[in-house]
Amino acid sequence: MARPAGARASGASRDPALWVTVAVLWALLALFVLYPLLCLLARVAMDGERLSPGAALAVLGDPNQLRALGNSLLLAALVGVAGTALGFLFALTASRAGFGRGWLAVLDAVTLLPLISPPFTTAIAMIFSFGPRGLITYHVLGLKGVTVYGLASTFFSETVTYFPIAYLTLRPVLAAIDANVEDMALSLGASRFQVFRSVTLPLAIPGLANAFLLLFAASLADFATPLILAGNSFPVLPTQAYLQITGLFDLRGGAVLSFALLVPAFAVFLLQRYWVSRRYYVTVTGKAGARTAVKTVAPWLRPVLLALCLAVAAVIAYFYALLFYASVVVALGANHAWTWRHYHVIFTEGAKAIRDTLVIAGLSMPLGGLYGVVVGYLIARKRFMGRQAMEIVSMLNYALPGTIVGIAYLIAFNDPPLALTGGALLIVACYVFRYSPTGIRATVAQLQQIDPALEEASLGLGASTAMTFRRVTLPLITPAFFAGLGVVFIRSMTAISATIFLVSINWTLITVRILENMTELSLGPAAAFSVLVVAIVYVVIAAIGRLLRALRAPDAVSLGGILGG
Amino acid sequence: MPMSRRRPAPLAAVALVLAGALAWAAPVLAQTGQTVNAYSIWPENWARPMFEEFEKATGIKVNFVRFSSGEALARVIAEKNNPRVDVLFGGPVETHAAGIKEGIFEPYKPSSFAKLPARFRHADGQWVAIADDPLVFMSNNKFLKEANLKPPASWEDLLNPAYKNMLQMADARTSGTAVTRIFSILEVYGRDETRAFDYMKKKRRNVQVYTKSGGGGTLPVGLGQAGAGIFFIVDALDTKAKGYDVSISFPKEGIGTAAEAIALLKGAKNGELGKKLIDWASSPAMQTLYAKHKINFVPAHPDVAVEPSLAEVLKGAKIFPIDDAYAGANRKRIVDRWINEVLNLKE
Repeated sequence: MARPAGARASGASRDPALWVTVAVLWALLALFVLYPLLCLLARVAMDGERLSPGAALAVLGDPNQLRALGNSLLLAALVGVAGTALGFLFALTASRAGFGRGWLAVLDAVTLLPLISPPFTTAIAMIFSFGPRGLITYHVLGLKGVTVYGLASTFFSETVTYFPIAYLTLRPVLAAIDANVEDMALSLGASRFQVFRSVTLPLAIPGLANAFLLLFAASLADFATPLILAGNSFPVLPTQAYLQITGLFDLRGGAVLSFALLVPAFAVFLLQRYWVSRRYYVTVTGKAGARTAVKTVAPWLRPVLLALCLAVAAVIAYFYALLFYASVVVALGANHAWTWRHYHVIFTEGAKAIRDTLVIAGLSMPLGGLYGVVVGYLIARKRFMGRQAMEIVSMLNYALPGTIVGIAYLIAFNDPPLALTGGALLIVACYVFRYSPTGIRATVAQLQQIDPALEEASLGLGASTAMTFRRVTLPLITPAFFAGLGVVFIRSMTAISATIFLVSINWTLITVRILENMTELSLGPAAAFSVLVVAIVYVVIAAIGRLLRALRAPDAVSLGGILGG
Repeated sequence: MPMSRRRPAPLAAVALVLAGALAWAAPVLAQTGQTVNAYSIWPENWARPMFEEFEKATGIKVNFVRFSSGEALARVIAEKNNPRVDVLFGGPVETHAAGIKEGIFEPYKPSSFAKLPARFRHADGQWVAIADDPLVFMSNNKFLKEANLKPPASWEDLLNPAYKNMLQMADARTSGTAVTRIFSILEVYGRDETRAFDYMKKKRRNVQVYTKSGGGGTLPVGLGQAGAGIFFIVDALDTKAKGYDVSISFPKEGIGTAAEAIALLKGAKNGELGKKLIDWASSPAMQTLYAKHKINFVPAHPDVAVEPSLAEVLKGAKIFPIDDAYAGANRKRIVDRWINEVLNLKE
């Protein structure tokens, strides 16, 4: 029962296609993940020609930095738990409460918003709503002297921003748990709660662990939200690292602080790996049973679940209504006259940024989707030398704060023979290797639910690995492919922390323009850009959703589902 | 697996969008004429009109991208061996001072060099100033009215408990504005560090948040999320011009000012064009244009008159320059002390 998924799969030596794929992947990982980090490490540890890590390490002894590390862990754990819980609530409602498509479309549409928004949007809306003169705290509740900066608001903002990741991770997992299994338990006399506790929940554990890991890592690396909301009483490490580099001009100190983040990121990662990998679940047997109506959620509980989800959705909708409002008034808070001026600005002065961003995202999307599925498939199904190492290395750029990845790329690829800075290729590479791990993990999670016997049968009948992958595995992991592809596209449209160091006079990005507009106090154009990004991503994601629906049984997938399958 | 007939339509749509985006992008690659590349620390809405005027005057196009001072410097240092741009444009002079230690600049003395006062040029020509930017107090009028206060006219006024949790100003770890502010306070207290830090610790209690960028607090003050703050005049007047109801005032004890500088990068690929840009920017040719484009910097070149409405704001204000040598020698120590004793104040 408890055997790792790859244990029965074939080895590399007998299969040239596998061998070539692994070699190419390692070359790419070496070039775009390991090499930049080594360059950065060298810059940190070397003083000229001499090795002197002492000066850099002294940064870690600073009690203020230790406090920041503690704060980071606390925040990441809170966001991980709360976000996973919220994501599970949504996933359960979507897959088990038996609501019609209309309600689910509303939930999907609203939960997508934080995922497809440029950075800062939630944080800005928080300040507008909950500050000393906030719309809610002051104008509605009449509170005075409220402070919005600190742990509570950062936690709230990050949870709202990141919980959709958990939702999209958990929804396909719950959907893949055959309702027949729950049905059987029910008919054998178990209560609904017993079924939930002893069937549904254990089967969802790989997904839950996955979601927690993704949220923990996302919060640990997030610097945009704390930069605006954490204030001075709650410093966190990514912000400290960023300030160390951009403020004190201390590249080494900043790099050391970022490397300190790696330790917790990998502790969680390894924990999850060994904890999850001891559990091996197969509910998809290849023999499609008759579909049964889901009965796990008691009728009285359904409206409660829906009400909770709608309450969260209302909060999100309010934030984005505020954002849209800011884009169509002259100056939010000062002059509320209606205007389209900001949109005119972004389509004239901002046209180049829009064009560049679309080209880069358009290139990153297919490459990232493909890379994610291939790596995920190899990790979950194949046995070859360095499989675990590959899994860890492929997660590196995702786990590291963007500031550090950006600086590492800048140092590594500025000089010949690898002078890639200033070009679009480097930004594309950054996105592919930084944001595909979602696709990798989605693929792994998906494959853990599918019995390797299906593939073994194909291999046993004489098909090659490539053929088996194409004809058997690929159709099974198509949803994961689109999840990965969608996430890479979204991130390409919305990321900033790493790529702010990679934009150049030839290639710029919308998100960098948004930050720029915000430092210029031009909230209007910043909001207009954000609305545009949300609109573009929505359209593309909807197109992919239609494509996916066309590829699968018509009732299986809706707009939000493509991100998780 | 059943296949739907609709399959090709969305595929084609996605392909069409991608192809369109690529076609749209292609013209970017074709560019002709003389071009100089720059990192601008000035926000785009001030840098762009200046560079357009430069192109009009000389035919040289400026290709630029904007970064905050810390980000710009980090990039220039990282790109040291293979510089991607020729000129570092704008930014408080302390950014450039930090760059000298990294050996990233090529000394150049532009045509106006001899005419500039000593504090507006580096002795070896590592940088020259293109503008001067004094600090001011800026407060929200509605907040003042509700709290029954007048615009602060003394550093002591900011200690009033009425401001508790309502001040925003910049963080000295990231902002030149903040460093200038701290050295202003030191000057006000005759460089008596004990008294100056005593004052800052008291003021800390009224500070809601220290912002990353120098102008980061202007919008919150404009909106009333904060009551008042200390900013560069150029940011403060811009806030006022955007329609926010704010007052600008100066402390009677005096307040500091910082020069904005320009520098040529070592190994610049278009060095000669970069020098032309520096010649132009450090001369009246550019600095007389500030008024036309409503940029409220004080010109650095002595031949350029201060625009009348700006002069009106500055009238009667006691403004002193920050002593470069003193600030340079003590910057790191003072900022470290500020982080430990003020920012992370334990009570």
